[in-house]
Amino acid sequence: MDFLFSYIVLAEIYVLLGLSTNLLVGIVGIFSVSQAAVFGVGAYLVAHFTMATDPLSFIPSMVIAAVCCVALNILVTLPSLRVSGDYFVVTSFGIQLLATAVFTNWTAGTGGANGLPGIPPPDLFGLPIETTPQYAWLCTGAVVLGCLGFFLIMRAPFGRLLRAIREDETAVAAAGKNVLRAKVSAAALAGAFAGTAGGLYAAFLSFIDPSSFDLDASILLLTMVVVGGARTLAGSIIGPFLLLALPQLLTLVDIPTTIAAAARQLIYGLLLIMFMLFRPQGLAGERL
Amino acid sequence: MLALQLLATGLVTGCALGVVAISFSLVYATTKIFHVAHAGIYTLGGYLAWSLVMSGIPMPVAVVISVGACAALGALIQSQLYARLERRRATHLVVLIASLGALAVIQNIIAAVYTPNILQFPLQWSSRMVSVGVVRMNYTQLLTIVISLIAYVGTMLFAHRTILGKRIRAVASNPMLADITRLQPQTVYVYVIAIASALVCLPGILVPLDLGLQPYNGVTPLLTATIAMIAGGVGSITGAFVLSVGIAVVQNLSLLVMPGEWSIGVTFFIFVIFMLFRPTGLFTAR
Repeated sequence: MDFLFSYIVLAEIYVLLGLSTNLLVGIVGIFSVSQAAVFGVGAYLVAHFTMATDPLSFIPSMVIAAVCCVALNILVTLPSLRVSGDYFVVTSFGIQLLATAVFTNWTAGTGGANGLPGIPPPDLFGLPIETTPQYAWLCTGAVVLGCLGFFLIMRAPFGRLLRAIREDETAVAAAGKNVLRAKVSAAALAGAFAGTAGGLYAAFLSFIDPSSFDLDASILLLTMVVVGGARTLAGSIIGPFLLLALPQLLTLVDIPTTIAAAARQLIYGLLLIMFMLFRPQGLAGERL
Repeated sequence: MLALQLLATGLVTGCALGVVAISFSLVYATTKIFHVAHAGIYTLGGYLAWSLVMSGIPMPVAVVISVGACAALGALIQSQLYARLERRRATHLVVLIASLGALAVIQNIIAAVYTPNILQFPLQWSSRMVSVGVVRMNYTQLLTIVISLIAYVGTMLFAHRTILGKRIRAVASNPMLADITRLQPQTVYVYVIAIASALVCLPGILVPLDLGLQPYNGVTPLLTATIAMIAGGVGSITGAFVLSVGIAVVQNLSLLVMPGEWSIGVTFFIFVIFMLFRPTGLFTAR
């Protein structure tokens, strides 16, 4: 039973990440492979603040992490989006590799490749959350809030502006809208989602290491959005639940453990190609 | 003394990187596709050559076969993936995601077949040292400089002196006009990616000859090469090559003041500087 709950918790965390990726890639149409890096920054920050000698409790740590991720995304997107979309591709690869280098090599702050164990379980205003079902409720709450936020933003004028940018950037600019500001705001919002997801992830697993936040993780996130379907709420929910079940299915097939990780990534790659070729709208999305 | 040695290593890395940058620049300037899967082809070249050498085939023959195989794979990606997407009027983003998918597929097939551990070429001569002035280099490093310079000069001559080269530049500068004048852009794209894949196979073999093979080692060189291409000015072959050497030298000299794990930070810092102050690059094409 606990196994099912932990699957749900992880899938819900990835739903938040899926929303973040969907906002950036699906709705505004900015290609990004640095979502996992932002996710990681959120996770490490929450770990840092809840484990400090003078520890903060869970909620303030989450707020700090989210704010830092927003700032990070603004800092990263502002110079590159000013120039062109392809510059942002380079930037996002760069940020991802740089983040992996920091997570792996800055041993004093992140525990290096060995990871950071012993992150305390979260509490809500003094109410401790220790069992997996309780945690599932917490995550469900966060996901419902996240989805509601996503839904409301998409209905708001700001959401329409973002979708208009994806359709025709020049037309939007000609209509007197500030395209760069809208794109950077979307990136900031995506940062808030990813940072929050990172905090939930760190507190749930109580152990984090760089391998959860590398380029492969970013590719997984992109696959989730592509398979689930870009630009819709349903897509960002279906994708994570389906793709997180995939490793469990792979354990049924007799694959040597040494190549299991490669086999998984291989399937993600194939899914990306196949969906782009034959079903760019994913299972429940709109045309990318 | 140490600085000179680092400078020499920087030159070697830079030359190899320069070929990656030229080849990526060829693809990017012509097809406008951000061909991320190029990193996979780079990695694959080294592994193919390694397998061939392990099965007793002499090195030069192994290189020729690997170069041919890489060219074929590049042509396959263009004709079966990019061209199909193009026909469906896929957006830039869709092509980019598909390219990333192709990269993941190539890298992980390699990782599944050869395991993710480091492999070394079983060759005696490659690590033999020679003294050049006050610095010491091995044969592989010397060979890297020579072959990379030949590749650079060859690409320049090819682009400016041959008919196919001129046709590629025509398509790059105006695909619509090239289509009307029956230069067949789609066919040219296949040639371009095949040539670029053949080129990128050379550093793909030379660098692992010195440092060993790993399946996920292609992304960082490609990223650095892309940064060099942008800093040099998109479309300029010389710019891409010169800036690659420059970035690699700066990266190596930075080892004097900070540990090597952070060299990606140095590269990225150079990119941010260019983005802020000269986004069109140093050698802007006419």
